[in-house]
Amino acid sequence: MKNSLLIAIREWKARVFSRSFIVMSIIGPIVILALTYLLFVFGDDGKQEWNVLITDPAGIMDGKINAHGSSRVTYSFANDYIEHEDFRDGKAYQDFDAMVEINDKVLQNKVSHVFYRTEPSTRMQTTVHYHVERRLEEVMVGQFTDFSIGEYLKIKQELVLGFHNVYDPYDKATDLRGWVGFSYGALIFVFIFLFGMTILRSVSGEKSNRIVEVLLASVSPNQLMSGKIIGIGLAAIIQFLIWCLFIGLGLYFMRENLFPDMMDPQNVVDQELFASAEYNRFVELIYRGIDYGIMVPFFILFFIVGYLFYGALFAGIGATMGTESDGQQFVIPIIFLLGFGLYSGYYVVNYPESDLATWFYYLPFTSPVAVMVDLAQSDSPGYETFLSLFILIVSAAVFLKIAGRLYKNGILQFGHRVRLRHIIKWLRRS
Amino acid sequence: MLEVRNISKSFYRKEALNDVSFTVGKGEIFGLLGPNGAGKTTMIRVINRIVESDSGSVRINGDLMVNDDLKHIGYLPEERGLYKNMTVEAHAMFLGRLRGLSKADVNTKIDYWFDRFEINDWRKKRIEQLSKGMAQKVQFICTVLHEPKLLILDEPFSGFDPVNVELIKQELIEMKAAGKTIILSSHNMKSVEEICDRVVLIDKAKKVAEGSIVELQEERKAGLYAVKFRGSMIAFVNALWTGFEVVDKDIHGGDKFTVRLKMRNESSFDDLLKVLIGQVKIEAAWEVLPSMQDVFIDIVQPRKENEDEK
Repeated sequence: MKNSLLIAIREWKARVFSRSFIVMSIIGPIVILALTYLLFVFGDDGKQEWNVLITDPAGIMDGKINAHGSSRVTYSFANDYIEHEDFRDGKAYQDFDAMVEINDKVLQNKVSHVFYRTEPSTRMQTTVHYHVERRLEEVMVGQFTDFSIGEYLKIKQELVLGFHNVYDPYDKATDLRGWVGFSYGALIFVFIFLFGMTILRSVSGEKSNRIVEVLLASVSPNQLMSGKIIGIGLAAIIQFLIWCLFIGLGLYFMRENLFPDMMDPQNVVDQELFASAEYNRFVELIYRGIDYGIMVPFFILFFIVGYLFYGALFAGIGATMGTESDGQQFVIPIIFLLGFGLYSGYYVVNYPESDLATWFYYLPFTSPVAVMVDLAQSDSPGYETFLSLFILIVSAAVFLKIAGRLYKNGILQFGHRVRLRHIIKWLRRS
Repeated sequence: MLEVRNISKSFYRKEALNDVSFTVGKGEIFGLLGPNGAGKTTMIRVINRIVESDSGSVRINGDLMVNDDLKHIGYLPEERGLYKNMTVEAHAMFLGRLRGLSKADVNTKIDYWFDRFEINDWRKKRIEQLSKGMAQKVQFICTVLHEPKLLILDEPFSGFDPVNVELIKQELIEMKAAGKTIILSSHNMKSVEEICDRVVLIDKAKKVAEGSIVELQEERKAGLYAVKFRGSMIAFVNALWTGFEVVDKDIHGGDKFTVRLKMRNESSFDDLLKVLIGQVKIEAAWEVLPSMQDVFIDIVQPRKENEDEK
């Protein structure tokens, strides 16, 4: 045990203090944050800047609208009534992307229409909706009440009425949550692949520079293998935590500075920035839609056990390699397995209730992704989740045992061409 | 100290060791010799418990060897390996700790050996920055760092220049004097002859000879004698009469010669000296024993020829 620990510490230090580890620790979160930011900003299709004409023949809005905090929408007013055909074809209106029609009964019936040339993004719709609604509320509060607009907004509390399909109460059919789960599973597989390859390179490196013989004079092959898997795994966890920290800080920064309106109702009261609960469905999902209290612990569990499962495969293959290039061929099946795992996640997102999805849920090759997808879609883990985890743990133990055999019998074989019959022979020997 | 009893080992159909036995006494430098592929490395791996034998046993001080005994063994394999990215000091620390030393102990030993080999300047250098010879020294230090009672060295002189070969030899001789037991596998027969007390020779998985260097040489001596003298070659040959046969000669220039000869008709070394004294000026005379190189070839070559004939 002590020797395994020494091997693990050496491996850990060799990875954590390597240049590639430091570079990946910085670049990885930056890439993910950049992609997340792009998803937030361009999450919906549509033009990002709008020139809007408000037709207000009755002068209800008095030519005023508070678009403070938004440089994305520019408003102009017209005191005439403009037919939407004129707006569509008239040369004078070609610069405008949309026309908001404020009729003289708007304060009573609260109905208005927007005519656009190209369909706006959800975000643009909610922005314009918010601006127009706030201005009309100002007018209404001034005409009908003695309240200030701030007081009015405090009183005003919209009823949130959630409609749910009784056959799909958790809204599983909405695959957006599933995709977030899929990205969790994909992250597990990315780490497994990166650090699995590290195991393979480390084993084959020790074989090719022959230090393995010195090590084996002090430690058993199993101690060497387990120390290596643990050490590299700890480096993977450290890198993962660094990613979590940076990504968490980045998301917090984005929430506080770039997309602040999402979480803070105060912003609505102060009217500092536009706000809407439908601001951006991705923002909504990232900050509100995922139950991190459930996802993160299971992510970590499946990450660790999945890593041990696949790590054993990588270590076993590394030990069987005669030359470094020879072993690359044997990595291909593992890459296929990982690819298959990712495909299973895609499948579960789209067909969560199918029989095949159930198989994917329990198969150790695919369960880390399938379970993540399922957890993202459901509210809480069921016994199936624990059963899947148990199967993965047992499979990892079996694979570690098999890899230990390959390691023991293959680690001192040099310069040979790996053949399946060698591997079978090594597996048969105790 | 070490007793190897009836060790056999096969890798699938290939026999690597066949019923090999030998003993190594405490404080002995023991040569494990044999041609390439004879089974030496497998034997060393069996002793180091890297490979399990199919049958037979290894005993240390009379007891069956156990894993804990590995702490008292230092092993330098033929194909050396170091972690290229590690510093010399970190490497020594890692291997010393694996051999059961505490951090403080490793530091003390590192100080001692780095001073002794005058490599203190290399402490913080990465292995990849060292020359091959420098790396060899580091490896040797890592092997002896934990002061093993039994040292197993596979080709310890390869990669060293003559100065460093001498340095390593002296270290081994000092270790022997300090009571350490050393098993040495080498193709450098000159070094084997110089420092080994006894050897075992393995060929084609089997033990083919065992004994002290002198015993093996005595067994294969060809009755050759050599005389180094100053004087006339004609006078030398005339003095020999029919009791001796000249085999060959070296001319050292001028009137200096070394002649190798064989006895005839039960002539003795004394007879030789008697007939020569007064005829030439004898500077040295000795019985020519085969070198270990000759012994090695003498044992291995006929077996190879027999094998080829089959």
